[in-house]
Amino acid sequence: MRSTKHHNVVLIMLGEFEYLILSAAVRLQENAYGAAIRQEIETASKRRCSIGALYTTLDRLENKGLIKTAMGDPTPQRGGRPKRMVRVTGKGVQAASEFYATVTRVSRGVSWAVPGRNEL
Amino acid sequence: MNRFWWWVVEPVSRLLEQDEQEAVLGDVVESCQNGPGALLDVLDVVIRRQACLWMGWRPWLILFGLTLPLGMLLSILSRQTSDGSAVYLWMYASNWDAALTQNPGFWHLFAETAVSVFISYLTLACLSWTGGFVLGSLSRAMSALNSILLCLILFFGEIVGAPSYSAFLHRGLFADLHVPDSNAAVFAVSFYRVVLPVIVQILLVAIPALWGYQIAMGMGKLRRVVSAGIWATAIATLAVVCIPEVGLWFFMAMHIFHISAPVGIWAGIRALQYLRPLEFWPIVFLIAHAITQRGMRRARA
Repeated sequence: MRSTKHHNVVLIMLGEFEYLILSAAVRLQENAYGAAIRQEIETASKRRCSIGALYTTLDRLENKGLIKTAMGDPTPQRGGRPKRMVRVTGKGVQAASEFYATVTRVSRGVSWAVPGRNEL
Repeated sequence: MNRFWWWVVEPVSRLLEQDEQEAVLGDVVESCQNGPGALLDVLDVVIRRQACLWMGWRPWLILFGLTLPLGMLLSILSRQTSDGSAVYLWMYASNWDAALTQNPGFWHLFAETAVSVFISYLTLACLSWTGGFVLGSLSRAMSALNSILLCLILFFGEIVGAPSYSAFLHRGLFADLHVPDSNAAVFAVSFYRVVLPVIVQILLVAIPALWGYQIAMGMGKLRRVVSAGIWATAIATLAVVCIPEVGLWFFMAMHIFHISAPVGIWAGIRALQYLRPLEFWPIVFLIAHAITQRGMRRARA
């Protein structure tokens, strides 16, 4: 776990994918589980989200104490199989908020305008 | 996803822990993946999970310290058992003469042989079960992958390991004595040389070993005393079998390198014969296990 002490507060450094999962889980609230989080990430990032990466990252986040997971009830549209429900903890909210603040701070004054073909 | 793909995807998903298997298969069903897509998704999770497990030292220790030697030992014992029984099978099945049945001595010898072959087969099955049980108890987290590895080692043990060991042993024991192979006629028949060892390896080694593995995997947390008793018996059983094999290596070393071992070692190895009934402990264990399971089912009902 990458962590750093800053002003007596332990900050947990998140990866980009970890941040995407935390954001998706917070947005989905009670409906946050594997397939829904994957769908949310694919829609937002317009990239394919690997289910293997999703599940291993969920484990990592849980080990860091940033989320809690639990098996939900079986549903018919899943062939009677349960969902792995995800809930973001207070520590997870704090870590995601810090990540967002860091990205915002570091991006201040930076222009990401893609140069036109003639300028290349 | 059609039935065929489901039939492919479902066994692959068994490599995952039960809760995760349910969650992943549920996600696959919900996202309406086509067959190959679902298979790739499940494989993706399985490969990442196994890769995480194999990052530590424990799976490697189990592979090289237990699965590999156990697979080779069982392959060698399987070949010895099948070769031993092949001689009797050849005598009775390939050289059957109805006139022999009129001889009362024939039936006496036949019964004695049948019991001896049956006991050797039962011993091999019990040993394989014990090996699978020990492996299953040690590697619960690695679940099905270890059973696949055991099967692969048994396959290579049967194809390469056991024949090389037999040839080496034969050279070590008989080469200097210039004794003709009295069983050459038996092993000239391809059934006894090739088919019977494979049948014995599958029926008396692979299936009992996987059965023992499954039982160990499915067992809940046992009381410490029971668990220690089971472990002590299983380890003693394997030791009773392994140590005389080590003795065999000593014997070969003496003939090849002319190294003599202290007399006490041979006396100790011979004394292990008295512990051989331990090899049949799986029968007692399975009966006790079946009774306990029945009692628990009744209690639940």
